[in-house]
Amino acid sequence: MTLLFKRLGQCTALCFALLSCLLIPTFSASAAPIPATAELAVEFSLPKIDSSMYARPYVAVWIENSKRKSVRTVELWVGKDEWLKDLRSWWRKVGRYDRALVDGVTSATRPAGDYRFTWDGLDNDGNRVEAGKYTFYVEVVREHGGRNFIRQKMTLGDKPFSHTIAPTEETGDIRINYLIK
Amino acid sequence: MSKINKFKVLGLACTVIAGLAATTTANAHPRWVLPSHFTVSKEGGDWLTFDVTASHGTFVFDKPAGSEFAQVVMPDGRKERPNFVIRGKRRSIFDFYFEEEGTHKVAINNVPSYYTAYKAGRRDTVKRLKANKAERANLLPEKARDVSTQLSYTRAESYVTVGMPTEKALEIEGKYLEMRPLTHPSDIVEGEEVSFQFFFNGEPQSGVTADITREGTLYRNHQEQIDVVSDKDGKVTFTPNVAGRYLMKANYKGELKNDPMADKASVNVHFTFEALLQ
Repeated sequence: MTLLFKRLGQCTALCFALLSCLLIPTFSASAAPIPATAELAVEFSLPKIDSSMYARPYVAVWIENSKRKSVRTVELWVGKDEWLKDLRSWWRKVGRYDRALVDGVTSATRPAGDYRFTWDGLDNDGNRVEAGKYTFYVEVVREHGGRNFIRQKMTLGDKPFSHTIAPTEETGDIRINYLIK
Repeated sequence: MSKINKFKVLGLACTVIAGLAATTTANAHPRWVLPSHFTVSKEGGDWLTFDVTASHGTFVFDKPAGSEFAQVVMPDGRKERPNFVIRGKRRSIFDFYFEEEGTHKVAINNVPSYYTAYKAGRRDTVKRLKANKAERANLLPEKARDVSTQLSYTRAESYVTVGMPTEKALEIEGKYLEMRPLTHPSDIVEGEEVSFQFFFNGEPQSGVTADITREGTLYRNHQEQIDVVSDKDGKVTFTPNVAGRYLMKANYKGELKNDPMADKASVNVHFTFEALLQ
């Protein structure tokens, strides 16, 4: 009886192996890149905060794929690299693995105000990302202040969309617009 | 001139004796290390500082455990000594400049100690002798009974990562009790499962007991400790639900077979780590 089950088990395993062989090529074929004209336009704001020890916050904005792997750091507003680690999540997931990327994307910290920037749909290596599920991340950390960590799930394909992200202590209104021109 | 030298020697001897005395008093208290930071992002490296003490409170300084034996295992596996060591009344400190990319292990392991317990005379009082199995024959009274020698060894350790995490410094030596992080120490995040593996003399060891406690016990009513016991592969898994600094106190007690120095062992790993915010 147990032998029979074992046999059955082996057979099922084999079937699965065969099935997955058949499925993998179809799956990768369907994962086409997003349209070349697609882009993610971001409206972003930093609130005015009254504090006797106000320092401009450190900001990281990045995109992760469905496997929670970072594909692109869109914005990085920082000062001394000593404090990069305070962007806890971005440093752990992205920054610590690639100094060249950090140097390439870094720009100065900014005061409270409204900002616009765009993600061109390319990954860190300059390749257009595949259509699928992604997460838009914002991490904002302020010296003598707080930290906010924002996640917005999104599906990138041939359909435009927009999401509004509610303000937090360290972030103002954020709106992401996926546009296909 | 020779007088000065004698004084110097005497001074040194006193320091050594004081050091030994301190180590002995510290034995009853768990000895641990607390790094100022666990992560370095500054290009070109940075100074970090470490507190070493022995206490019953989690990250509360109490006894001045020494840092003279402190070592930093570099990302390539070679060992370095700390740059500055100071011993105060309730802790010792040392500083080290971390500039090589990768994961460093910081260890303050002291040396193995041996105690022989025995009974002698009409009473059944257990007496103790600071001697190992090889030395005890000359020191025990003639009619000593229930003689047993115990090896004690404690590792106080933590990890610091500069830039990209690496694995080399996580390797075990194959001696006494050791903990090999299966979850990289720089990847311990609140709410996510963590796995460690225990080894005794280089072999995976089941039955290692460990309690894992978050800092701040002085300011809460309950320890809120996590208790784990290693499985047949020496592994433990747990989830730190709150970000913060944690102390894991792991102990293994076991018989030693064919060991010329001791009959049994009580060995510890006191590991300090941080659970990061999501």
